[in-house]
Amino acid sequence: MSSNKAFSADASRSERIKEWISRPGGFGIIAGCIMFVAITVFGFIYPLVGPYGTDEFVGESLEGPSLAHPMGLDQLGRDVMTRVFAAVPSDIGIAFLGVTIPLIIGTIVGILLGISKNKYMVSFVSSLIDGINAFPLLIIAIAMVTFLGPGLINVVIILTLMSWARYARIARTRAVVVLQQNYIEATQLMGYSKRRVIAKHVAPNVSSESLAYALSDFILVIIIVSGLSFLGFAARPPMAEWGAMIADGRTFIGQAWWLTIFPGLALCWSAISLSFIVEGLSRRDRGNS
Amino acid sequence: MSNALVQIDSLRIDVKVTRTRRLTIVNSATFDVQPGQLLGLIGESGSGKTMLCRSLVGTLHRRGAYIQSGSLTFNGIDLVSASGKEWRDIRGKQIGYIPQSALAGPNPVLTIGAQMAEAITLGEKMDKEIVRKRAIELLEIVQIRRPEVVLKQYPYELSGGMKQRVMIACAIAREPKLIVADEPTTGLDVTVQAEIMQLLKQIRKDLNTSIILVSHDLPLINEVCDDIVIMHAGSTVEKIPSAKIQDTRHPYTEALYRSRIDLVEPRGKLITINGQPPTVGDWPTGCRFAGRCDYVKPGCSADVEIPSVKVGPNHLTSCIRQAEIWGK
Amino acid sequence: MNRNIFLRKFLGRLIRAISISFWVMVISFSLIRLSPGDPAAARLGAGAELEAIAALKEQLGLNKSFVSQFIDYFSGVFQGDLGVSLVNGVSVLETILRVLPLTLTYIVLSVFFAFIISIPIGTIIGWSNKASAVYTFRGITSMIIATPNFFIAMIGILLFSVKLNWAPVFGYVSEFPQNLKYLWLPVSINTLILVAIISRVLQTSVVDTKAEEFVETGIIRGVGRPRFFWFYILKPSLAPTVVLLSYMMGTMLGATVILETIFSLPGIGRELVGAVLATDYPMVQGILLFFGVITVFLSFIGDLLAYALDRRVKL
Repeated sequence: MSSNKAFSADASRSERIKEWISRPGGFGIIAGCIMFVAITVFGFIYPLVGPYGTDEFVGESLEGPSLAHPMGLDQLGRDVMTRVFAAVPSDIGIAFLGVTIPLIIGTIVGILLGISKNKYMVSFVSSLIDGINAFPLLIIAIAMVTFLGPGLINVVIILTLMSWARYARIARTRAVVVLQQNYIEATQLMGYSKRRVIAKHVAPNVSSESLAYALSDFILVIIIVSGLSFLGFAARPPMAEWGAMIADGRTFIGQAWWLTIFPGLALCWSAISLSFIVEGLSRRDRGNS
Repeated sequence: MSNALVQIDSLRIDVKVTRTRRLTIVNSATFDVQPGQLLGLIGESGSGKTMLCRSLVGTLHRRGAYIQSGSLTFNGIDLVSASGKEWRDIRGKQIGYIPQSALAGPNPVLTIGAQMAEAITLGEKMDKEIVRKRAIELLEIVQIRRPEVVLKQYPYELSGGMKQRVMIACAIAREPKLIVADEPTTGLDVTVQAEIMQLLKQIRKDLNTSIILVSHDLPLINEVCDDIVIMHAGSTVEKIPSAKIQDTRHPYTEALYRSRIDLVEPRGKLITINGQPPTVGDWPTGCRFAGRCDYVKPGCSADVEIPSVKVGPNHLTSCIRQAEIWGK
Repeated sequence: MNRNIFLRKFLGRLIRAISISFWVMVISFSLIRLSPGDPAAARLGAGAELEAIAALKEQLGLNKSFVSQFIDYFSGVFQGDLGVSLVNGVSVLETILRVLPLTLTYIVLSVFFAFIISIPIGTIIGWSNKASAVYTFRGITSMIIATPNFFIAMIGILLFSVKLNWAPVFGYVSEFPQNLKYLWLPVSINTLILVAIISRVLQTSVVDTKAEEFVETGIIRGVGRPRFFWFYILKPSLAPTVVLLSYMMGTMLGATVILETIFSLPGIGRELVGAVLATDYPMVQGILLFFGVITVFLSFIGDLLAYALDRRVKL
């Protein structure tokens, strides 16, 4: 097949880009990225440049979608569209924190566990990890709200406390596999310092898998954060947050469908764009059928 | 030649890669198989030998491949246009298939006994006791000890060699006239390999079955088979009796023969063949071995059909320069 | 010989499940101590009397040392004593057992229907060679999975309750067959999501299976259609599906919280939410423990099932 072309040094840049896209999954990745970047950018910019404020009372309550207010007004007369976009930092931003922090902590712990020679410590921590992972994330997050109290910051803390274990498990499994590889042995024979081996060889290989998982996890955490807000455990009024908005809108679902549908669509959009990326990446991994 | 069991003439097999793209995997294959003959089929990966095997058992369509032109006859039946019903009569009954040992063989979720029953009955109703007795008989032919025990086992409990023996037992269950064995010993221990080759020779003798044995291992084929067909880049380039392998009249075969690992003296140089086989689909014009050939001349890459000429009893070659190189 | 190996692996897995359950117990028990400040005071609020706070602390066992309290708790669990609700004094275990049947009912119903629908869909699409069918399938299922279940529920309510009035917006009556009226929408939504997940995994699995050599051999042997589909395609493909499902059960149980809140179904999910809102520590602990242990055992059973289907599965 003529894919040889793209690898020769004289392939032009646009040719190489085209080749990258034409490989399996490329379309999904690009589409997903565009969608996701779009909503994030809108989320951060629109509330700043838009005509209405997030908490401003601008009109009659429960007015339907119109040219002036494409997404309608809520029960307090606030512009829904502004609020939907203003919710981006809360939903996506918090979810981002709720993924990256556990990712870093968990991967470090996982690698350390993979390296460690202390059998007892390793089994001890591993069973602890398995124990934490045994709980469904949403359930234990809700339970933790009882003990730590509600609020978005608390949610990040809770997620960190619970999610690191999943990343640790992945990192550890992968680290063990990587350490058994021949090329690690080769570096030892070449006299590399332990620290260098870990930093340059073990860590990158382990993190690639952890990062892949983190992307899927991102979707899950967005949904969990909005789920928690929906139940009233995370974002509190008058904060703009999709889950909370949907919960608020629930009471008026008969009269004002726009209160629940638009925040929900924003949620879907974020989750679906990310899942396009994940799907594209996995299709690329599997290669041609 | 007219009483050949299998007759393949200028067979071309294409595969549908995408809705618009087609690749030619086998460009031109020509050879025949006599009843009771043990024929070896040699080729590197990408030579098309596996597709050729699939055409003989009628499973090309599973990979989106199809016979573009040429003829393929088995026992007088035209396999190119054979209907589903005709294939059902042939597959398993008249043509048996032994898959590559490296690819795991028997169905992992069924017991050996269940699978042997499938191979014996081929969907027909048969008395259970008869089937069982036949299964044990077959397992004994392939030299599996304690066949009654093995019948109840699952594939994961067997060694690679034993699994292959089971596959052979299934292939000969209905005493087919032809067995196609696609690299049946690749990846197995050398001793097991030798035993299985011995077994195949025995089967050929006892049942007078023709066997097409595919491999990339020339010394093995040379030792076991009556005749050898050599394939390169989608075409059959030479057909030669094993005994005469040193009188080859094709540069590729010669190169293969010279690069045998058993020829190398201690501390000697390993002789290799230059270059790589051409990428499938990116076929050069003219002779496809030209790029790697020691005897190449400009005329070799001319855009003409390379004919297959007879140079001796049972010996065909498609090197245009063969008369020059080796004399008449 | 295989009997012994199986038994050994079975026991190994069982022991592992039990040890994880132990940790689950430790974790559910200790979470309360993660509260910043005093949980008893937090519950009773500012202005509560010191005696009341002390009394609550004693009831919650927060005044003794961690280890001794854990021993009390541990032995309590085995006697079926999970504590008593701070709200109404009813035994936690009793409450759980009271609300569990409803949750179990609709979960079992959803899983059942989901499997019945997913198996044909997953197998047919997996077996098919038409790229258009596969892309459409994967596209639609991705979208369903990525959509939060409460949003799907909202759309469902909007469509079926508000506009079409085929289902009540919320509420529940436990007598059969009236309860069907209240259950059909939540069960359908759950089933929809499950179908998306299960059929997807099954489809991937079938695609992997059909590339295997033994499937080719099956065709060559002329194995009859129904037998072929079960033994050569479905059975080898179901194993990963079952394993995945057993891990998903945990997440599914989690999802019940939201579904029950939306539809006001008095199941264990809603009970948990209520307990959290009321800061009912023992109830929260009890339900948490329950969820943890159930998830562990469900994955254990899932692994066993997968092994039964396909011996290649590592146990």
